[in-house]
Amino acid sequence: MPDQPLTPFTGLPFHIAISTGAATAWALVAVLLFWAVYTAVAVYHWVKYSHAASVASLAIVVHLAVSGVLLLFVLVGALLP
Amino acid sequence: MTIPFFHPSNLTREFELEPGEVVLAEVRKHWFVFTLELLPFAIIAVLPFAFAPLLSIAPPLANYANLASFGTGIGRTVLGIWLLIVWTSAWGAFTRYYLNVWVLTNLRVMEVIQHNYFHREVSSVLLNRVQDVTTEVKGALFSLLNIGNIHVQSAGTVDEFHMDGIGGPAALRDIILKKVSEQSKTDGV
Repeated sequence: MPDQPLTPFTGLPFHIAISTGAATAWALVAVLLFWAVYTAVAVYHWVKYSHAASVASLAIVVHLAVSGVLLLFVLVGALLP
Repeated sequence: MTIPFFHPSNLTREFELEPGEVVLAEVRKHWFVFTLELLPFAIIAVLPFAFAPLLSIAPPLANYANLASFGTGIGRTVLGIWLLIVWTSAWGAFTRYYLNVWVLTNLRVMEVIQHNYFHREVSSVLLNRVQDVTTEVKGALFSLLNIGNIHVQSAGTVDEFHMDGIGGPAALRDIILKKVSEQSKTDGV
């Protein structure tokens, strides 16, 4: 049995504070990484296995264009208050 | 000017055609079947726009409808991220649709199955090994659009080639059987 009085739990010895802005930034980075890796893998498959340069070029260009518009939308939204 | 990635030598590396071998047809799933596969992505894409109206018609949850508003910066960011993920996934589905293909030549049938990006299966059967070609068309809509499945059974193998949801399966079967017949005559069978 301890002979000292119990001390109340005062929490962790460090403070964690995550702002909405920081969380949004980290989510953006994670999504961008996912998008970049996924796109790179898919483009590699188009180039190596599609056997049709015209279709592959068109598919890649359309994907990059639509993704670019959406990324712009995301970044503009992130910069808004 | 030739783009290095798309140089013909890169594009033909996977299929080395034999001398005198020509590609007769490349067969993929019918566009209607692919459109059906895209439907879940379309539904997922519009979900955020339906979220706020759905919340507002449920009185206990109506106060939370503002959270689903896209007028704020965070709302637009979340919506953009959502749409980017859905779009990238749908484009990935199109990539897999295009990479899953049957290549019919005058000597063989090649089947390419792209299970996922890191699981690719390429197999072929010589036409003189083909024993049976079966087609089936099921359902009213698929009968109207002439969409069905085709199975090719070869000699000496348990597995058979099969592709579901292609357009004009009977026509493809006729082409295969015609080429099989020509091969048999050439081989003197």
